[in-house]
Amino acid sequence: MLQVSPDEIVREAQRLQRNYEFLSYGLTAAWLILVGYVLMIVGRHRKLQQEIASLRAMLEDRGATTRV
Amino acid sequence: MRDKLLFALGLAAMALLARNTLAVAGYPNEANQGAIFKIIFFHVPVAMAAMFCAAVSLIGSVMFLLTRNFKYDALAVSVTEVGLAFLAANLVTGSIWGRVIWGIWWTWDARLTSALVCWLLYAGYLMLRHAIEEPTQRATFAAVFSIFAFIDVPIVIFSIKWWRTQHPQPVFWGGGSIPAEWYITAVLNLLAMVLLGIVLTVTRLRQEEAQREIDSLRRTAHAF
Repeated sequence: MLQVSPDEIVREAQRLQRNYEFLSYGLTAAWLILVGYVLMIVGRHRKLQQEIASLRAMLEDRGATTRV
Repeated sequence: MRDKLLFALGLAAMALLARNTLAVAGYPNEANQGAIFKIIFFHVPVAMAAMFCAAVSLIGSVMFLLTRNFKYDALAVSVTEVGLAFLAANLVTGSIWGRVIWGIWWTWDARLTSALVCWLLYAGYLMLRHAIEEPTQRATFAAVFSIFAFIDVPIVIFSIKWWRTQHPQPVFWGGGSIPAEWYITAVLNLLAMVLLGIVLTVTRLRQEEAQREIDSLRRTAHAF
């Protein structure tokens, strides 16, 4: 019968643990990149909307001043 | 209507990713690599989605040079940005896999190097766009640069066939085999990434339209 020493069992358990740790790091890092990019898009969208609104308000003000 | 369709596509992508994550969690560990092997279900689909984005960027750039229609330029920049995010996710997951299997975070092997060069080229494309003020000149230079950058894409894809690399041969078209159920999950993950890419690209396209509106409003403001 194949004999497995306690040390080997511990080593294998450690290897498995390390494997799962790195798998979770990998998936977390990948998701952080994608979520970060989505947040960047959302932030940019807000900034653009604000800029459009302020430019429109400025043009309306100028239009009103010119008419007066 | 367009908003609802976009929302439905995003929801479908999320549902597919959730389904695939649960499926992958239930798969047994690979005999030699262990649990880290499961990263392939994410690493490969994001790489393929990134290459798909590069191809669409090439089409947009060529179409812009042919028609001078700024919608194609907007498509090229939007899809390039999304592809860059996918390629970054691919490089990071690959590096973490390499740390466990090879014992190193990085090696200057043909596949890894060409993928990094690809990322740097498309990042350069976005930086070039920031550096040029005049819209027509910016779009023309960027289109030419994008076509030039695409030369690296076939090198990334075929590098593992052309040269002896430390990067493994592909499982899907390199003679390797995986269970049918795993293959389906990988394909579904690719579909989820493509759907996510479409949603992000369309959202980014709208921002380009908003930017054009801002430019037009600024021109009107200067004319007063």
